[in-house]
Amino acid sequence: MIEHLLDLTVSAFLLAGLYATMAYGLGLIYGVLRVVNLNHGGMIMAGAYAAWWAHDQFGLDPYLSIPIILVLAFLVGVLTYAGLVRRLPRGAAGGVQSLLLLFGVWLILRNAAYLVFSGNDQTVLTSYSTKALPFLGAQISVNRLAVFGVALVTLGALHLFLTRTYVGKAIRAVAQNPESCTLAGVPVQRIYMLTFGLGTALASLAGALATGLYAFNPGFGATELLKSFVVVVLGGLGSVAGTAVAALILALVENFSILVIPSYLTSAVGFVLLVLVLVLRPGGLFGQRVLG
Amino acid sequence: MKPPRWFRWRPAAIVLGLAVALALLPPVARISVYTQNQLTLTFVTIAAALAWNWLGGYLGQVSFGHAALFGLGGFVAARLQISAHLPMILAWTAGGLVAGLYALAWGHPTLRLRGPYFSIATIGVGEATRLVCTYWDWFTGGSSGMSLPVTAGLKLQLYWYGIAIALVGVATSYWLRRSPLGMALLAIKSDVDAAGDVGISSVRLQDGVLFLSGLAMGICGAFNASYYSFIEPVETLGFEKSISFVFMGVIGGVGTILGPALGAVVFVLVRQYFIASYPQLYLGLFGVLLVLVILFEPLGLTGLSLRVARRFGYRERPDLST
Repeated sequence: MIEHLLDLTVSAFLLAGLYATMAYGLGLIYGVLRVVNLNHGGMIMAGAYAAWWAHDQFGLDPYLSIPIILVLAFLVGVLTYAGLVRRLPRGAAGGVQSLLLLFGVWLILRNAAYLVFSGNDQTVLTSYSTKALPFLGAQISVNRLAVFGVALVTLGALHLFLTRTYVGKAIRAVAQNPESCTLAGVPVQRIYMLTFGLGTALASLAGALATGLYAFNPGFGATELLKSFVVVVLGGLGSVAGTAVAALILALVENFSILVIPSYLTSAVGFVLLVLVLVLRPGGLFGQRVLG
Repeated sequence: MKPPRWFRWRPAAIVLGLAVALALLPPVARISVYTQNQLTLTFVTIAAALAWNWLGGYLGQVSFGHAALFGLGGFVAARLQISAHLPMILAWTAGGLVAGLYALAWGHPTLRLRGPYFSIATIGVGEATRLVCTYWDWFTGGSSGMSLPVTAGLKLQLYWYGIAIALVGVATSYWLRRSPLGMALLAIKSDVDAAGDVGISSVRLQDGVLFLSGLAMGICGAFNASYYSFIEPVETLGFEKSISFVFMGVIGGVGTILGPALGAVVFVLVRQYFIASYPQLYLGLFGVLLVLVILFEPLGLTGLSLRVARRFGYRERPDLST
């Protein structure tokens, strides 16, 4: 029993890395642009297919294809912003419209994936897919460990970027007050574009990482979008530490729920958690902080 | 007795006249069974699209999970008819009430917050409801579904009930938009704080509209189950069902009074054509449509017709649009 619990805890820690990565992209865009990127799920799915395709066609290891996927997804994000999101009005009406618009983009991506890759479940099998390392009596799959490592590095880099570089500081400033930024000479539109690109790239990174853990099909990403949102709500906007802790909480609750409820209900766990947090602590567990 | 101030004779006469004409179609014009069935489905779709719009349009709280309410109403009504032998109308009412309460259960906490929390939550509710209903086969019949009793003349009866449901939907839409209550909803949509300052309880009104929307959705779902004499969770609760309501609203004009009804008619027609001709492109084409409408004519067909009318010198009353 103790071993089983240890197993669940370790796997929750490793899973939390993935959750934090995918949530951070959503939170970044929402924090800066006040737009919920409903296409987040679509880009997670696209990232997964990109990694799978590169592996399937060229035998490229999923972890090696990540840089290319990041660049491409960044461009997709920039184009989505410049071509679509930018044209919407800001404020209450724009909120609804951006939801619907990005939802439309998601449907298009989904359909495109369905046409190109069919609706079958796909998996990426590498030589190390089934390898595991012993740890305190528990077995840890190499893939989970690698996913966790990549996530950790990404989040660390993001934190440094947002707090230490000029552009990162500009992004945080725009999140706080776009008008003042315009006055201070920050190119707000360009920051928006950059942020949208970054958030989209993070989504596709999460998708590419997820290929090591799950099978996926064109509908992949819907639950992930929801989980990302749960983490964002739990952790507050943009704080890397808050996101990490929230991702860990979600992963722990999900993993341990297996002990008390039937497994088909685990995907509803995140949702129940979301509602609970919204009722009890609408500002997130750590209050609202703006990026950093 | 004086009619309430939101009541207008002209639209009421037009809608009623249309309803009576449609009601007389089967016995007088002897339309084919196919047409009659298509019309029945269109009526209930109109009511459902309007119910979606009360939330998504009037309050700006877009739901991506209304299939959960639609399906739950259907399952509750079907189960009550099969196991408790409840009369159809009673079962529909029960289904609607359960759906309305279910909507409140998850909608109340998420609607209290500003921003898109409600919309995101609906994605989860839709998925979770589908999963749970698929596994609870003692209640829903699982993925093989369950069949309802069929009686003679049911289809014609449902045709008239369908008209009645659509009519109630239209009347409620007018009431929710034109009455003082409707003004309050508009205020909440524009600015929650300002609405609160003038004494509008956003929590209570939003909950009220949510319940109404759930109630109507549940009844529509129950009607749908009776119409097919069959209900199963995969299609009834599927993602596509949920977003079909979004499409109807967007095509017709989100937040307009009758736009979604028009959107529902167009959706039923276009969907038939798409499904028949391009089944693999169906979702993507609707996605493209969604993007184009939002970018170029956010009020959908209603906005388009207003634009055309304006060109010919028509001046709308200011509260007709948005």
